[in-house]
Amino acid sequence: MSVSTRPGLSQRFGRVRVAATVAMSIKARALREAGHDVVTFAIGEPDFATPPHAIEAAHQAALRGDTKYPPQDGTRALKAAIQRQFRRDHGLDYALDEIMVSSGAKQVLFNALMATVDDGDEVIIPVPSWAAYTLMTKLVGGTPVHVTCPQNNRFRLRPEDLEAAITPRTKWLMLNYPNNPTGAVASRAELAGLAEVLLRHPQVWVMADDMYEHLYYSDERYATLAEVEPRLMDRTLTVSGVSKTYAMTGWRIGFAGGPKDLIRAMVSMQGTSAAGVSTIGQAAAVGALDGPQELVAERAAIYRRRRDFVVDALNTCPGIACHRPEGAFYVFPNIAGCLGKTTAGGRLVQTDEDFALALLEEHYVALVQGAAFGMSPYLRISYATDDASLAKGMERIAAFTRGLR
Amino acid sequence: MKLIAERLDRISPSQTIAIATKARALQAAGRDIISLSAGEPDFDTPQFVKDGAIAAIQAGETKYTDVAGTPALRRAVVEKFRRDSGIDYAPDEVIVSTGGKQVIFNAMLATLNAGDEAIIPSPCWVSYPDIVALAEGTPVFVPCSQNNGFKLRAEDLEAAITPRTKWFILNSPCNPTGAAYSAADLRPICDVLLRHPDVWIFTDDIYEKLVYDGFKPATIVEVEPALRDRTVTMNGCSKAYAMTGWRIGFAGAPKALIKAMDKLQSQSTSNASSVSQAAALTGLTGPQDFIGEMVAVYRERRDLVVDMLNQAPGITCHKPEGAFYVFPSMRGCLGKTTAKGAKITDDESFVIALLDEEGVACVHGSAFIYPDHFRISYATDTASLREGCSRIQRFCRGLS
Repeated sequence: MSVSTRPGLSQRFGRVRVAATVAMSIKARALREAGHDVVTFAIGEPDFATPPHAIEAAHQAALRGDTKYPPQDGTRALKAAIQRQFRRDHGLDYALDEIMVSSGAKQVLFNALMATVDDGDEVIIPVPSWAAYTLMTKLVGGTPVHVTCPQNNRFRLRPEDLEAAITPRTKWLMLNYPNNPTGAVASRAELAGLAEVLLRHPQVWVMADDMYEHLYYSDERYATLAEVEPRLMDRTLTVSGVSKTYAMTGWRIGFAGGPKDLIRAMVSMQGTSAAGVSTIGQAAAVGALDGPQELVAERAAIYRRRRDFVVDALNTCPGIACHRPEGAFYVFPNIAGCLGKTTAGGRLVQTDEDFALALLEEHYVALVQGAAFGMSPYLRISYATDDASLAKGMERIAAFTRGLR
Repeated sequence: MKLIAERLDRISPSQTIAIATKARALQAAGRDIISLSAGEPDFDTPQFVKDGAIAAIQAGETKYTDVAGTPALRRAVVEKFRRDSGIDYAPDEVIVSTGGKQVIFNAMLATLNAGDEAIIPSPCWVSYPDIVALAEGTPVFVPCSQNNGFKLRAEDLEAAITPRTKWFILNSPCNPTGAAYSAADLRPICDVLLRHPDVWIFTDDIYEKLVYDGFKPATIVEVEPALRDRTVTMNGCSKAYAMTGWRIGFAGAPKALIKAMDKLQSQSTSNASSVSQAAALTGLTGPQDFIGEMVAVYRERRDLVVDMLNQAPGITCHKPEGAFYVFPSMRGCLGKTTAKGAKITDDESFVIALLDEEGVACVHGSAFIYPDHFRISYATDTASLREGCSRIQRFCRGLS
C-alpha cells in the first residue's frame, strides 16, 4: 500500500505563482541573515509608523471588548467612515450597502474576481502592472489580456489600445493609478478619454484600484474614474485602503465602493472564504480615516523629495534612464543600456532579472526586475525607505553600473 | 453578460436569514428576545491578550508579515501542537490564516478539482459544504445519529468512500452537536482511512479546549501518526481564547500542502493582521488557567440546559462532550399545533413558532443539514439560559 505524499493540487492551483517581489524579499532576507548589509527597495510598504490616533482607536476597541465576530461586510462604523472618505475625496455617494471592507485591498480584488469571472472571461490588464492582477485572474479561470503602456506615453493606457483589446468576452478592465510599479498617474482628461471608450462597451466592468491615491505629487487631487465619468459608476468598483495612505500594511484593511449587486456577491464570497475582518484593525482604520489628515500631506511631501533624489541619482548611472513619475512610491527605470555587459564579479547581464540578481549578490541591493510586472528591461525601485538607505543604495547601484563592461 | 460567476451560485442560500431577520424585527418592536443562537463565546478576550496586542502596536508591529505568519507565532503554534497533541510539526509545516475558515478555504481551493468528493459527517457547519462547492467539489454527507452521540461510525465512513473521494472533513468537538471524539473513538476511523491512501483528512479542532467532565479530546494524527502526511490539523484562537473578532486560525500539515496554501493565501489576502497575530502569540504562550475557569462555567450551563430541555415534552437532548452547543431532537413535536395555533410541520416551523410565541431564538437543524433537531448555543449568561429553557418547556407543554 502506497501512501500519497503529494497533495494532488487542483488544476486551478497550477495557475498560482509566487510573486517575484516575495521571492526577491526572501533572497534578501537570507543574505541579511548571513550577515550582509542588505539595502532593500523590493517591498511596497511605507516605512512610516501607523498614525497615533489610529493606534489609540485600536487600543480603545480592544479595551472595550470589541473582540467579537464582525459583520462580514465590515463594521457599520468603518463603512460610515469610508462613505465619508469617498464623499470627501471624490464627491462619490455610496450607500452603506454599496461599501465593503476586506482583509487588504488584495482580498477586495480576489472577492470581486472570484464572484464574477467564469472560465474564459477576459480581464484587460494594462502593463506594467502589479503581478497579482494576472495571477488572480488565472486563479479564477479567467484569461488575462495584457495591454502595453509604453514609457513614451508615460506608462499610461491609451484609449485606442484599450479599444483594440476589448472583445465580447471582456469582463473587467483593471485600472491602477497612481500605478504600481511605474508611479504613473492618469489625469482627469486621460481618464475621460478611457471613459469614452468604456461607454461604448457596456459589458465591461472597471476595477479602479486607487490604493496609492493620496501619494500624488501634483497640485491636483487624484480623480478616480467614477468621479470623472459618473455614467460608469454602476459598473465600476472603486478600491482603496489604509495600507499606503496611513502606513497600515500589517493591519490588513482594504475597502471598496460599487454597485449593490456586485458588493452583495463579494460579501457572499468573503463570508465563505474568511468571514469578517479583524475588529481591532477595523477600529484602527476608523481612527485613521476620521482623524486629522495633515499627516498624509506631510508624508507625501517626504515621498516627493525622495522620488526626486532617486530619479536624479539613477539618471547619473551609465546605462540607466529613469522617467520621473507622478505618484506612488516607485520608480521604474529602463536599463536597456546595461544589457549584454558583464559585471565586475563576472556575471553576464542579459535580462533585467540578471541585473537584479547580480546587483543583490554583488552589492546587496534588493529590487525587482520589470519582467515581474510584465515589461522588460526595467527595474522597480520602491523608495518607501529612509534617506540614509536610499543614499547608500543609490551609491551601490552607481558603483554596480560603473563596473559593467 | 451575467455579472455573477457560476461558482457563486453553488453557495447555498443562508438558512438562518429568515429567523435572524425575524428576531431583529421582534427586538426592534420591543419584544424581550432571548437569543440562544450565538456561534461565539460570550466571554471577552482575556486582558493579558489585549495587552499583548497593544504592546505590539506600540512596538510598531504594524507592517506586512510573512504570508504564513510571523516566525514567533509559527513557533508558538508548533509548540501548541506538541504540548496539546504530541504532534511534531516543523515551522514550515504550519500556516496562520484569517480565521479557521480561511484555512479550510485555502486547503480546498488548493486541492479540489471539479467532481472531487469531500466526505462531511452531518450535522455539520454549513461552511464546509459551501467551501467544497465553491471549489467545484461535491460534498458527500454521512449522517451521524443522536443514538450514536452524533458520532461517525467507521462502517458509514467506509461505505461513503469512492475513488473520487479527496477529503474527509472531521470537526471535533462539533458545531452544532457538541460531539467530541476520544482516542478510542478515532481508532476505528483511522483504521478505515489507513485502507484508503488517496483520501486526505481535514480535522477542525477549533473547539478542542471546550470539553467537559474530564473528557480527553484527541486528533487524528495524534492517534495514528501514519496519517500525518495526508492530514491537515486545524485549530485557532477564536474559541479557546474568546478571540473571534481577531480572526486568527492556524493549521499543521505536510510541507507541500502548507506551501500550496501559503501561495494561495499570498494571492488572495496575504498575511493575517499583524496585530492579531501578536495577540494570538500572547494567548498561546501566556498563562492558560483562565481556560479552565471558562470551561467550568460552560459545563455548568450545559448541564442546566440539557436537564431543562429533557423536561420539555417532545424533546430529547443528548448530553455532548464539548463545544458550547446542544442539538436536541424535536421529533416528538412534529404534527402538533402550538398554543397560538401554528402547525409544527418541521424543524424550521418549530423554531419560528418558538420565536414568535416565546421570544426564544435558536437555529433549526436543517441549517446544519440535519432536520428534526435544533441547535442551542449556551454561550450566554445563566439567567438567560434558565429563562430561555423555561420558555421552551412552556412552549412544548402548550403543544397539542
